[in-house]
Amino acid sequence: MAGEPMAVDYYIPLIIFMIVGAIVPIAAMAAIKIIAPLRPSRRKQSTYEGGLAPIRDAKIQYSVQYYLFAIVFVIFDVEVLFLYPWIYVYANKAMQQFMVFGFMNYAVFEMLLFIVVLLVGLIYAVKKEALRWV
Amino acid sequence: MEFAHYAPLWGEALLTVLAVLIVLLGSLMKNSGKLMGYLSLAGLVAALGLVSSNLTIPKPEIFFYDTISVDGLSQFFKAVFLIVSLLVVIASLSRYTGKGADEYFALLLLATVGMMVVASSIDLVTLFVGFELASLSTYSLAAFDKSKKNLEAAMKYFIFGSVSSAFMLFGFSLFYGMAGSTRLADVASTALSNFAPATAVALLFVIAGFAFKMALVPFHMWAPDTYEGAPPLVSALLAAGSKKMGFAAAFRVLIVALVALRMEWYLAFAILAALTMTLGNLAACWQNNVRRILAYSSIAQAGYIAIGFVVVGAAYGVAPITKFGGAAVPAAQLGIAGALLLILGHALMKTGAFIGTAQVASMVAKGNDKDPDDISNYAGLARRAPITAFCMLIFMFALAGIPPTAGYIGKFVLFSSAIYSGLVWLAVLAILNSALSLVYYLRIISYMYLREPVGPKVAESKGYVAALVLTMLAVVWIGVFPQGFIDWALQAAAVLLPQ
Repeated sequence: MAGEPMAVDYYIPLIIFMIVGAIVPIAAMAAIKIIAPLRPSRRKQSTYEGGLAPIRDAKIQYSVQYYLFAIVFVIFDVEVLFLYPWIYVYANKAMQQFMVFGFMNYAVFEMLLFIVVLLVGLIYAVKKEALRWV
Repeated sequence: MEFAHYAPLWGEALLTVLAVLIVLLGSLMKNSGKLMGYLSLAGLVAALGLVSSNLTIPKPEIFFYDTISVDGLSQFFKAVFLIVSLLVVIASLSRYTGKGADEYFALLLLATVGMMVVASSIDLVTLFVGFELASLSTYSLAAFDKSKKNLEAAMKYFIFGSVSSAFMLFGFSLFYGMAGSTRLADVASTALSNFAPATAVALLFVIAGFAFKMALVPFHMWAPDTYEGAPPLVSALLAAGSKKMGFAAAFRVLIVALVALRMEWYLAFAILAALTMTLGNLAACWQNNVRRILAYSSIAQAGYIAIGFVVVGAAYGVAPITKFGGAAVPAAQLGIAGALLLILGHALMKTGAFIGTAQVASMVAKGNDKDPDDISNYAGLARRAPITAFCMLIFMFALAGIPPTAGYIGKFVLFSSAIYSGLVWLAVLAILNSALSLVYYLRIISYMYLREPVGPKVAESKGYVAALVLTMLAVVWIGVFPQGFIDWALQAAAVLLPQ
C-alpha cells in the first residue's frame, strides 16, 4: 500500500466530515439538556405549526391522484435540474465549436432532444387524462 | 458530426425514436393498437437488418468517449435481443390490439434498447443506465394485464430487481473509488495492479447484482413467481431477453475481472453453477404449473450457461483445442462460445415455449376460470391445437438438449470446453442434470401427445402460430447447420479475451 495513495484515501476528509457531522448535533442536544432550565407548559409542549395554534390531526388521507401529479412534477423538476449544468457546459467556448448538421450547436441539439422527449411525455400525460382531476 | 460515423448504432437510434413516436402517436390517435404493433414490427426488422449488416466486426469500434463499444460480442447479444423482441412482437400482434397497446409496444421497444445498450457498454455508468432502462420497462410490462396475479408478479420482480440494482451500484461505486474511473478497462487494470480487500467486496456485490437478473441459485426466488404471474408474452421477454441481459453484463464485467485476476474464483462459480442447475431441475420436477416448470428450467439453463464463467477461470494454462473446425482455439474462448451458443439457443427455445403457454392460456381462458397454465390443460393438445403442440414438442426436446436442435449444440460445445479445461466433474454433473430434466420435459410431452383431449379442437390464433413456427424453424436450423453459428460465437468470444 506504500507509495502511490489509493483513490479510497482521498475519501478520508469525507469520513472525518461525516464523523464531525454526526457528533455536532449530539453535542448540541446534550449541551441543551445540561445547560437549559426545563420549565414545560401546555403551550410549549403543543405541536409547532408555523406559530399558529395547531388544527386537526396530522394524519389525513390524500387522494391517490396527487401521486400522478407528483410524478409529472418530478419529471419537470429534473428537467430544470439538468438545465443548470447544461448552461455551464454551453458557456464553455470550446463546446460552442461542435456543430450538428452544420448549423446547430451540439449542446443546443442535445438539450433540444431532451426537451422534446419530455414534451412528448407531457402530451402523453395530458392526452391520457393523467392531469384531469376526477 | 457525421451520421455515417455512427452507422453501427443506427439500430438503437431507430428503436429509440420509434418508441418515442409510438408514445406520441398512441396518445394522439384513437384505436391505434394494430398500427403500433406493425410499426414496432417494422422497426425491429429494420434494426435487426442494421445489426446483422455488421454482424462480425474485426476491430471494436468505440463511441462516445470510451463508453460504447460495437464489437463481435455486442452484435451477438444485440441479435439475440432483437430476435426475441421480434418474436414477442409477432405473437403480441394478435393479443395486444386494443386500449393501451401503444404503451405495451413502446415499453417493449425501450426494454430492447436498454438491453442493446448493456450489450455494448464498456463503462460502468452506461451499463447501469442501460440496465435500468430495460428493468424499468419490464417492471411495468410485467403488470401489464393488471390482473391480481400480474401485480403480484410485478411487485416481486420490482422489489428484487431494485434491491439487486442497489447491490450492483454499490459494487460499481467501490470500483470507482478504487480506480478513479468508470471505464471497465481501467477498473480491471487497477484491480490487477492493486488487489485490495475492497476489490473482493466490490466483485461480490456486482456478482450478486448480476446474479439476480440471471436468476442464479441463491438469487433465483423471484423468477418462478414472476414468470408464472406476468402476462405470458412478457414472461417470454423476461426469460429470453432480460435474463440474457444479465449475462451480457456479467460477460463484460466479470470475465474482464476473471481474466485479469486469474484467481481461484472459478471454484466459487463452479459451485454456483452446480447448485443452480441441480436445484432448478429438481424443483421443476414437482411443479404442476407449466410456466413454473419453464421458469425452473430457465434457472437450470442459467446454471449451464454459468459453466462458461467457470471455464474461463479454469482454462488458464490449458493447451488450445484443435477441434470444431480446424484452427486451434483457446479453451476459455471455446467456453465463452459455448455459453453464447446456449444463450442464443435458450433465448429462442424459451421464447417459443412461453408463446406456446400463451396460446394454451388464451384457449383455456374462454372456457373456465381454473389456472390457465395448469398442466392438465395440456392434455391432448396434439389434437386440440396440433401446430402449437408440435412446436412445443420441439422446444421441450431442445431444452432437454436432444439433437439436432439449438439446445444440443450449445450444451455440446459448452460441456466439451469444460472437459478440455479439466472440469470433468462439472461436465458429468451437467449431463446428469440434462438427463434429469427429461423427467419434466417428457411429462409435458406425454400430456400433450398421450392423454385424451379435455376439449374440442380450437382455432389457433395467427400471431402465435407465426411466432411459434418461426422460432421452431430457427431452433432446428441452428441444430442442423451449427458450423456457422459456432464460428460466429467463437468470433464474439474472442472479444473478451486478451489477444
